[in-house]
Amino acid sequence: MERKKSFSMNYYLRYLIFGCVMALLPLLTNAGILKTSWIGIIGGTIIYTIAGLGLNLLLGWSGLISLGTAGFMGLGAYISAYVTGDLGLPFEVGILLAVLIPLVFGILIGLASLRMEGLYLGIVTLCVSEVLRKTFDELEPVTGGFSGKQANFPTLLGIFKLNQQSTYIFLVVIMVLLMMLTYNLANGQLGRALNAMRGSQVAAQAMGVSLLKYRLIAFSLATAFASLSGALYVHFIRFVYPSTWTLPVSLVIMALIVIGGLRSVFGTFIGALIVYAMPDLVLKNIPVIGDINGLSYVLSGVLIIIVVLFYPGGVINLFYKLHSVITGGGKKKAALPQTGEEQESMEETHE
Amino acid sequence: MSTLLQLLLRSLETGAIYALATLGIIIVFRTNLMINFAQGVMGMFGTYIVTFMFQKVLFVKSTEAGLAQQPALLLSILVGVIGAIAIGFIVDIVVIRRTKKVAGIGKEIITLGMMMIFLGVTPMVFGVDPMRLPKVIESGEFTIGGANLSYNSLLNILIGIGLTVALFLILQKTKLGLAIRTTASNERTARLMGVPTKWVTLFAWALALVLGTLAGVMIAPSTSVTLNLMDSVQVNAFIACVLGGFQTFYGPVIGAYIIAIASNLLAYYVSSVWGTQILYVMVIIFIVFKPVGLVGKKITKKV
Repeated sequence: MERKKSFSMNYYLRYLIFGCVMALLPLLTNAGILKTSWIGIIGGTIIYTIAGLGLNLLLGWSGLISLGTAGFMGLGAYISAYVTGDLGLPFEVGILLAVLIPLVFGILIGLASLRMEGLYLGIVTLCVSEVLRKTFDELEPVTGGFSGKQANFPTLLGIFKLNQQSTYIFLVVIMVLLMMLTYNLANGQLGRALNAMRGSQVAAQAMGVSLLKYRLIAFSLATAFASLSGALYVHFIRFVYPSTWTLPVSLVIMALIVIGGLRSVFGTFIGALIVYAMPDLVLKNIPVIGDINGLSYVLSGVLIIIVVLFYPGGVINLFYKLHSVITGGGKKKAALPQTGEEQESMEETHE
Repeated sequence: MSTLLQLLLRSLETGAIYALATLGIIIVFRTNLMINFAQGVMGMFGTYIVTFMFQKVLFVKSTEAGLAQQPALLLSILVGVIGAIAIGFIVDIVVIRRTKKVAGIGKEIITLGMMMIFLGVTPMVFGVDPMRLPKVIESGEFTIGGANLSYNSLLNILIGIGLTVALFLILQKTKLGLAIRTTASNERTARLMGVPTKWVTLFAWALALVLGTLAGVMIAPSTSVTLNLMDSVQVNAFIACVLGGFQTFYGPVIGAYIIAIASNLLAYYVSSVWGTQILYVMVIIFIVFKPVGLVGKKITKKV
């Protein structure tokens, strides 16, 4: 396949350009074109996207359900806040520990996951998440209990003290790197193995795909992404409460990858934008109805239902359809390695 | 000895609440093949209807007329149950019927959407201030074997057991129960055999709403009626479903009572701080060794 790669086909370039566009946001808010609150909201979207990318590897590519994302995000957040705040260690060490410690849990769940299927796995991971959340409540010396825990904006390499805007840029950089990583993983040997596992475990085993190995990898990646996003959360929002990390957070992250498009890297971001940022950015600014308490919640709930009912491939497929209508070709299908098989695989049930 | 009895009686009351919530989840799961993450929020909404009717309408009227509050409360609960049935019908007709073709995890995401709708509608309709709901039987308690039990707790225990037994009688003895069991075992075949599966799912959703509302009304007096009234009940109900196994109707109910008893015993005898975590870890270990739950059957997959 030594075709000349066209400009639009080079995924790395796409991610880089996307990152550059995202990094322009602080300029726009400084110029007064957009409100300063946008930085906080889009930053939150990026954090959700990072957790979503990990869950997409798990749910999208390997077809395993996890409802434990919230617990691991919280664990990452608390570890990083404790290590950088109470122990006074550098930011990088905090992030590293915040990813490594949850990783142990991820590997354990991966091992346990070999014994169970579908919904049982989902609720066992929910169990793990609840154990972690209750521990955040009770382990006061480390987590600060109900009153929460504070953290600072990151200081990179001990020299560069970041403020909110530069932390936002830092988030964008991390997200673009992780998008490239996810794209590489998903389109390489790992992605093929996970796809095979999703299709049929028995068939995958017969083809020489080790269930143990790939389930462990899938769960470790999802946990690592989730805890990293939690660690970034605590350094961006600068505060963390135990009551944040409940079931709805895990469900929202699951919803955003289904809405954006399973097995799609950009789709994860678009899903996060719709689920997380849309209520704050758009719906609350509509005159009259934006002022009604709770209406933005209702509208995003309706939106979620409509997208799942009528666009089962996710919003990202809408873009691809539009794209192929505009450029007028079925041949474009080859350019979409991630979503090309969307239609057929959405039809096979996982029950 | 009396402490143990006291703990067991309290567990039976908690177990009744968990059992009702669990039954709501399992009946929807068996007939629609979807986990209803909105179960807790729906119960919360039903409880809000009851509380709102009582606080803002009937309680005012009955004190004006110089009556006791009990009839007003019972009437409010009746209104709440009727409201719950109506909402169950609306949910099924407007949303759930269209989800037949949704594959995989999409159905669960739809229940998340419904959850957000309920969470948004509640403050719009009922206001943002937390409300209080009194007990059905306000005071009075009696002693058995050295353990105290209030009449209200006894009522809750009896309602929990009574409703569960009644539901199993309906499932096993009536034509409706047969229709539900057929739909649960294979929806498509049931439809081909002439079972009105549309009515079955309609009934299932209404029942889930009613059970959730009753569980909410039971737990409301011990706390205040807020948006996260049912959060911990819902999580425990899910865990009870897994512990009992999703394949039967009675397994999850057993699971609910086990969770209630074990959590009270662990909280008293082991640690009030770490009891719940120990229980959940034990459940996880149990599932690892028996992946289909207490009474679940293993479904063998063909290649």
